[in-house]
Amino acid sequence: MTGLGVVAPLGDAVEELWKNLVAGRSGVQRLPSSLSQGLRSPIGAPVKFDGTKHFEPPRLRLLDRVSQLALVAAQQAIRDSRVDFTAEKRERCGVFVGTGMGGAETTEEGYHTLYAQRSDRIKPYSVLNAMANAPAAWIGIDYGLHGPMLTYTTACSSSAVALGEAARRIQQAEVDVMLAGGAEAPLMVGVLHAWDAMRTLATEDAHDPSASCRPFAATRTGLVLGEGAAFVVLEEWDHAIVRGATIYAEFAGYGLTSDVAHITRPTIEGQAKAMQSALDAANLAPDAIDYINAHGTATLQNDAVETAAIKTVFGERAHAIPVSSTKSMHGHLLGAAGALEFVIAVLALTRGIVPPTMHLDVPDSACDLDYTPGHARSARLRAVMSNSFAFGGTNAVLIARTAPERNVDRDSL
Amino acid sequence: MTTLDSLTEILTRDYCVAREQITPEATLETLGLDSLSVLELMFKIEDRYKVKITADPPTDLLTVNDVVRYIDSLLAGNTATRAVSPSVASTDT
Repeated sequence: MTGLGVVAPLGDAVEELWKNLVAGRSGVQRLPSSLSQGLRSPIGAPVKFDGTKHFEPPRLRLLDRVSQLALVAAQQAIRDSRVDFTAEKRERCGVFVGTGMGGAETTEEGYHTLYAQRSDRIKPYSVLNAMANAPAAWIGIDYGLHGPMLTYTTACSSSAVALGEAARRIQQAEVDVMLAGGAEAPLMVGVLHAWDAMRTLATEDAHDPSASCRPFAATRTGLVLGEGAAFVVLEEWDHAIVRGATIYAEFAGYGLTSDVAHITRPTIEGQAKAMQSALDAANLAPDAIDYINAHGTATLQNDAVETAAIKTVFGERAHAIPVSSTKSMHGHLLGAAGALEFVIAVLALTRGIVPPTMHLDVPDSACDLDYTPGHARSARLRAVMSNSFAFGGTNAVLIARTAPERNVDRDSL
Repeated sequence: MTTLDSLTEILTRDYCVAREQITPEATLETLGLDSLSVLELMFKIEDRYKVKITADPPTDLLTVNDVVRYIDSLLAGNTATRAVSPSVASTDT
């Protein structure tokens, strides 16, 4: 991993996000009445993001908010990695993106025009803006990436899948450099109402809306939707060494399983097998994992099942591994969650700090691990795991570990 | 205000085209307008001239002058339009 980029509720740059996470700040807030009117759960985790600061109006017309967020986060990751695609074999560079809802803003605008305004003035670009593969397409076009360009949509594990699949392409020597991540922009009236109707969103905390998302707490009431994007530059090891790249960490393993039990209800077995599969792929024993960034949605079901799954895989050691759900602060970014949380896990690894789970004041007997409540903690971390589990049942688990000492046999290159 | 002036205003304001680029001979492509942008431009023209364009514009609108002549023909009633009252111009179906 040689480049990181984020546009998230707690910061539109890696440093700002990290500073706020370590300080335990929350980006959850009451949404403006234009969005929240009529909602049982009028809260969300928005990004302070103004597309007009990044794109000229003619370009902006072509970009749904989800593509805007994706392009800005991808640009950050590319700049951070200092990879110069003009110097690369373009057909060996690609982009994989995960998104759950795609161009929801455009879809919603179109229906608003049609049904609310009773007008037939649908924007000619609507299809191109709304299509789920638009973020990947624009990134590919902007950077001239002629290798594989794919979009994964597996709900809340979409971008974890995108990262895992991208790493596999590199392992299989099909490509040299992959841009992989996720983007989501679900804070739209229609999307919010759809989630609200499912009764899966958190009840607003009467005293402090920012404390509404309480993963693993007995008082948890559900998830809080967030928006944003996160991208990682993944690169073949020798390729990164030869160009003198800064290497954050090594992408060590990816596990993928499907529950196929129920459209929403997770299974302990499916989650545990995904974690075990990632460990196997990384060739690591459970003892090697020093931090788990949990899926931790703060729904009744997920947090108890995930806790049990972690115990299944890690046994007695489960209680000794710091776990946290940073969703307590940045909310649930759905299709972008896996990428954002993996970036956070990598930052934890490289900086030796475990970010906290906030608002966990009342423990739940079904959730009895060390969730790093309330405060960040220093720790020497060798390898970290990031869990992403989805409606539909696609479980994706990613592992990163400290990059080994640099050595490359230049004669063999 | 001539038709060219009005079109120039729309292109500079809504499409970020530099004023000095807009000449009668300039092609829409060089100004950064593709075929979908031209379709969208029709909404702006409807608003500006309070007309409802009922047929797609011809596909051979290649230059600024082509668009000017097309607008003029719309206003002269030589092509498929109908006048609408300003208050419902943007919501008329």
